[in-house]
Amino acid sequence: MATANNPSRELILERIRAGLRVPAAPAGPSPALSDAFEPVQNALERFQAEAKANLMECFLTADAAASADQLAVTLRSLPEGEIFVQDAPSLRRLIEMANPQRAIRWSSQGGPVEASQATITLAEMLVAQTGSIFVTARCGGRGASVVAPCHIVFATTEQIVPDLHTALSNVQQQSKLKQNSFACMISGSSRTADIEKILVQGAHGPIRLVVVLQRGD
Amino acid sequence: MSASTPTRPAVTPSSTTAPQQGAANDHAGPVDPAQKFLRDAAIKSADIAHRDIIRFNMESYATAHQRGRGRFKDWDAARRRCQEIKREAVNHLDKYLLQFEANVTARGGHVFWAATSEEACAYIVELAQRHKVKTVVKSKSMVTEEIHLNAALEKVGVTAWETDLGEYIVQLRNEPPYHIVTPAMHLMRDQIRDLFREKLNEPGLSNDPQELVAAARRKLRQAFFAAEMGISGANFIVADPGVIAISTNEGNGRLTTSVPRIHVAVTGIEKVIPRLEDLATLWPVLATSGTGQPVTTYGTLIGGPRQPGEADGPEEFHVVLVDNGRSGLLANAEQREVLHCIRCGACMNTCPVYRHIGGHAYGTIYGGPIGSVLTPHLRGPNFEHLSYASSLCGACTSVCPVRIDLHHHLLHNRHDSAMAGHAAAGGRTQWKIFSRAMQSPAMYSLGGWMMRRGLRALYALGLAGTALDPMRKWNIKRAPVPLPAQSFRAQWRKDLGNGK
Repeated sequence: MATANNPSRELILERIRAGLRVPAAPAGPSPALSDAFEPVQNALERFQAEAKANLMECFLTADAAASADQLAVTLRSLPEGEIFVQDAPSLRRLIEMANPQRAIRWSSQGGPVEASQATITLAEMLVAQTGSIFVTARCGGRGASVVAPCHIVFATTEQIVPDLHTALSNVQQQSKLKQNSFACMISGSSRTADIEKILVQGAHGPIRLVVVLQRGD
Repeated sequence: MSASTPTRPAVTPSSTTAPQQGAANDHAGPVDPAQKFLRDAAIKSADIAHRDIIRFNMESYATAHQRGRGRFKDWDAARRRCQEIKREAVNHLDKYLLQFEANVTARGGHVFWAATSEEACAYIVELAQRHKVKTVVKSKSMVTEEIHLNAALEKVGVTAWETDLGEYIVQLRNEPPYHIVTPAMHLMRDQIRDLFREKLNEPGLSNDPQELVAAARRKLRQAFFAAEMGISGANFIVADPGVIAISTNEGNGRLTTSVPRIHVAVTGIEKVIPRLEDLATLWPVLATSGTGQPVTTYGTLIGGPRQPGEADGPEEFHVVLVDNGRSGLLANAEQREVLHCIRCGACMNTCPVYRHIGGHAYGTIYGGPIGSVLTPHLRGPNFEHLSYASSLCGACTSVCPVRIDLHHHLLHNRHDSAMAGHAAAGGRTQWKIFSRAMQSPAMYSLGGWMMRRGLRALYALGLAGTALDPMRKWNIKRAPVPLPAQSFRAQWRKDLGNGK
């Protein structure tokens, strides 16, 4: 640690330690997490309901062929132009089946360009409690979930975890933040209500967030 | 419970114009901040158009907040959890900051500890110059407002663009944020349309929010992809994985930390929390208290620069930990909890004083109850008058998501200020007399007798509210309170005490 270039580091630590020598006010009992939040009963139903409330488009599909069809339908609704896809075997297969007839930039070639019409990625997991998708840098990088006007996520129902606490515990236990410099819990499309509290979708990031959710694995 | 939709103010306010450049920043300057506060507060509380806007915003917030709280099984249990998380963090601040530093450094990030605003600015300016940075994009960070970073960058020829829509609007107007969560709350869409038409060179723009947002998006996209440096804040510093957590809805925070070559996160040392799992409570509570949302759209975690094998991301990652007076609060075991604040803005939204005078009159970066508590600690005795910018009603304390006893801290600050000898000599004498009178029934009774007689004579002569009237401050704008014929004690002896 470059303390030589940072003379205030020791000074601040010393101030903190001096201050903390004054004993703290006694702590109160901390209620359990289950006291604060209702437990999630049916994770799939809850995810679908919360995703809808978050203004996400969530399509439940039966198998890979149905997922590819849904992907093709979504891509046909977008203006012409390049798309960006996370370079993963499952997405390569899906793209081959959907056959989008567009220029494709794979994440192995770098991040998405500003003009990308859509980005297609996997997710680490889905969170039922908040209707969120959890991505890390491995899901195509940082720009993959924010640069294009449409972000399409391909996930399976087995990736749904009931609540935020489970999601974050998994991240810690699986050392996901040791392997990635970035992670993000995304709960809907980009939005703002900075003008007269009126909700506008698509502030700086995607206007649409589409989840193709395939049953089973 | 008023769950009805608030009515949007119909008027285009003419009086909610921007303050003079720099007028609302907290440089002490030649003007006495206490006098300026009284003047600005009086002007704003008499501004009906301003009040309509703030009422509309606060009612919208109250409805959303109420609904958001209903999603919890027990809102108060969630608040107590947050309180204990922050208490644990602040009471082991050194340990958790060092743990965070070690984890960030292991991923190739840099952590800089800044004792003062100047040190923090100097580090970032030097970094910008070393990398020949011309353009900086910023996502919302109140700490960068506190340290006046934009001015420091401007001085060396670096252009800094605020990219949060609200911040961008107030930056174009050359004024400070009005509110820490919704910086442009004081403006209506017509004003924003006029501003964008002029400043963004978009003469055809309508007042449709969708269109206004799209115009800002187009303009700021250019900035995002041209900028060499992105500067963000951090809502939390998470010690055990060594990441910063940023909550945003717009995605500007995402672009700021993804696209430019260098990412600098500027944050206060008190933002630390021990464990990643703590966010399972803090994220929903922060979002609910801030806007009423279940969670913010993007809960971003960043722990370093782009790692080998990652598709994109900045080459350099720096975290600037700002002290700037915060560590001084630790030595006071009671006031230490002021450092628990997660900057949600709930106390401002509920405060009757804030609701009348708005965010700019305080003349500080942090307004409302938390700003009134914190600013004297960060900026010194010049801001002790803010301890009186409260009716001590306790509304702030009742909504605080980390249960900071805000109104008691305001009282505490008044006490500390008086004990330090900062109270005006006249006030000290008055309180001495009051204290003596309260301890002597005879003196108290005599005082009451003299006041009843004296004021009756004064009012009879039509002198209420004049310089001769000891009740002038009240009577100058109000009808005098009717005077009782007898003292309370006399009434008690005669009737009340006998149950009549």
